[in-house]
Amino acid sequence: MTDFAKVLESGVSLLRALPRRSVGVSDARRTAGEWAARHPEIRARLVVDRRPGTPVVDYDLLLDHPDGGTVALTAPPEDGVPWLIDHSTHWAAGYLVSVNDVDVTVPQALTMLRSLSRGDSSPYREIIDQCLLVEATGETEPLSAADLQATADEFRRGRGLHDRESTLVWMAEAGMSGEQFEAYITEIAQRRRFRRDREAELAPGHLAANPGDFARVRAVWVTGEEKVTAGTVSDLLTGLASLGDTGEVTATFATRWEADLPAPLRGTPPGGIVGPVELPDGGFLTGTVLHRSPATDDRETLAAAGRAAFTGWLAERRAAATVEWHWS
Amino acid sequence: MILIVSSRGDGAAERVLAALRRRGARLVGDDTGDGTGPPVLWWDTGDFPGHSRITASFTGGQRRLLLDTGTKTIDLSRITAVWRSRPGRPSAAGTVTEPSHRAHVDEQAEFMLDGVWSLLTARWLPGRRADERRAHNKIFHMARAIELGFSVPDTVYTNDPAELADAYESAEGRLVAKQITAEPFQVDGAEHRAYTTVVTRRHLTSRHRIQHEPVILQPYVPKAVELRVIVVGTRVFAAEIDASGSRAARDDWRHYDNDRVRYGVHELPAEVSLRCARLVADVGLTYAALDFIVTPGGEYVFLELNSNGAWGFVELWTGLPVSDAIAGWLMDGGTP
Repeated sequence: MTDFAKVLESGVSLLRALPRRSVGVSDARRTAGEWAARHPEIRARLVVDRRPGTPVVDYDLLLDHPDGGTVALTAPPEDGVPWLIDHSTHWAAGYLVSVNDVDVTVPQALTMLRSLSRGDSSPYREIIDQCLLVEATGETEPLSAADLQATADEFRRGRGLHDRESTLVWMAEAGMSGEQFEAYITEIAQRRRFRRDREAELAPGHLAANPGDFARVRAVWVTGEEKVTAGTVSDLLTGLASLGDTGEVTATFATRWEADLPAPLRGTPPGGIVGPVELPDGGFLTGTVLHRSPATDDRETLAAAGRAAFTGWLAERRAAATVEWHWS
Repeated sequence: MILIVSSRGDGAAERVLAALRRRGARLVGDDTGDGTGPPVLWWDTGDFPGHSRITASFTGGQRRLLLDTGTKTIDLSRITAVWRSRPGRPSAAGTVTEPSHRAHVDEQAEFMLDGVWSLLTARWLPGRRADERRAHNKIFHMARAIELGFSVPDTVYTNDPAELADAYESAEGRLVAKQITAEPFQVDGAEHRAYTTVVTRRHLTSRHRIQHEPVILQPYVPKAVELRVIVVGTRVFAAEIDASGSRAARDDWRHYDNDRVRYGVHELPAEVSLRCARLVADVGLTYAALDFIVTPGGEYVFLELNSNGAWGFVELWTGLPVSDAIAGWLMDGGTP
């Protein structure tokens, strides 16, 4: 046997013994490097073929032929793994996350993120919430033209797309064709309609169960880095003028639902001064409730109750959901 | 009485049930409807024997077939039509814990069900379990399809490694491989899938693995669009699936990359439509989902028949009234 034939035989043995999983590639490179160092004349190089969507890897060994030219060796061993199983992909290859039975691809997740409009939600939660809505919306009746138009208008307004040209620029940036944009708006409209219907369905029950949350409260409060001390409402307002010039204060004079008031003011009777109270995120609040009207089932109150009920419903679904992120 | 055999939460069954109600049928146990049509029982074989009781008795020259679902008792001889939508596997009660006992129970239950079903004079959609299983076999239905004059790709079913390079060269390097049947498996403890695989030269280097499991080898058929054709009795619905815009679904639309895949209604040539209905009847079924490729030259190339293939997405994305057709078939055989 020639020296080169011996090297070939040795190379095949090397390849047959290398670990065929991506986690073993470092070891494989080290082993192959040591082998190559023992055969410097053939300038051996291990090439790793990482397949997408599977931990299985393949190897090739490139060698110089003594008479010139390159020899490529590959030597999958007989390990009893059927051919199509060896070449299969992970069931979630291409998916970013699965929420219950809803699997989301990376492109789908990006379209969900484009609809992000709230500052109080992380992208992760936004994607999960969108999946839960997709799951709950299920197979629905066709949308009306009015629903679609309203959704498209709202979408464009929310992004400052006031004319056809700016909308086309946005679509080009997002890489969407007209057909894809239409499908995208349709999906948003389906979720929007589902949310509207669900809010209307839940509102009366939620209001009846939580009337205290929907009292209308007229209140005034001051927040800032400095403590503001006051004995009466008029002290509170006039006291602002006497504050030092360090820091910044914000005075709010507003009518809110009880549940939307700053926590220290919720449920306090009208007239009394609350605070200064340290706030959880830092700073202090001093304020007072001026007037409170019990909840009524007018349209505005029902709408607020519907929104609150829907938020609670979604939180329950989120807490019960099975979420699996597919990062690798 | 119409029997829907399917697991709870089956969206397809919900759609058909809604269509049945529109036609006046009423769900057994639901007294809220005002339908005057036939009663519909939705029951899952997965509840048997754990949560349901079945009795077949032959006494005094009389035959009785009774199903006790736990809430109602049904005389199975009253069943006029059965739809096997997504039947669960028979399952032992939770109190049966020893694995071999559970497996034993499941086998006994399956056998019992096959026997009871064989005595029903009802019409079946797609067919009884054995009919479905036989028709679903690709080798069986491809042979029938060829006999009926369908165009099919040159196809090799084999576990002989020596066939691979020949097939690859015959296909001029554009070969795809498929599984004979989709059964679950794992790699390193994780579930994997073997979709339609475009064979590369890399695949040839591990040809020895083919000996372990038969595969299907076919030349890659250039496609204008793919079709899913739904046959319900004699009614034929065709949806076209254009996956050319999706990297994920281009070679196998079962990746369901719906944002990038276009679905639409397809008008089949009358003779192709007729042949589809004939094929389904010929393999012994009343329903099937057939997959085709329409080549850029307009040729209809038959790929496979799925005995109980999915149709929900076809109705959802194209508006084709499949659920109504199934409901009509269950009510009266789908006669116009």
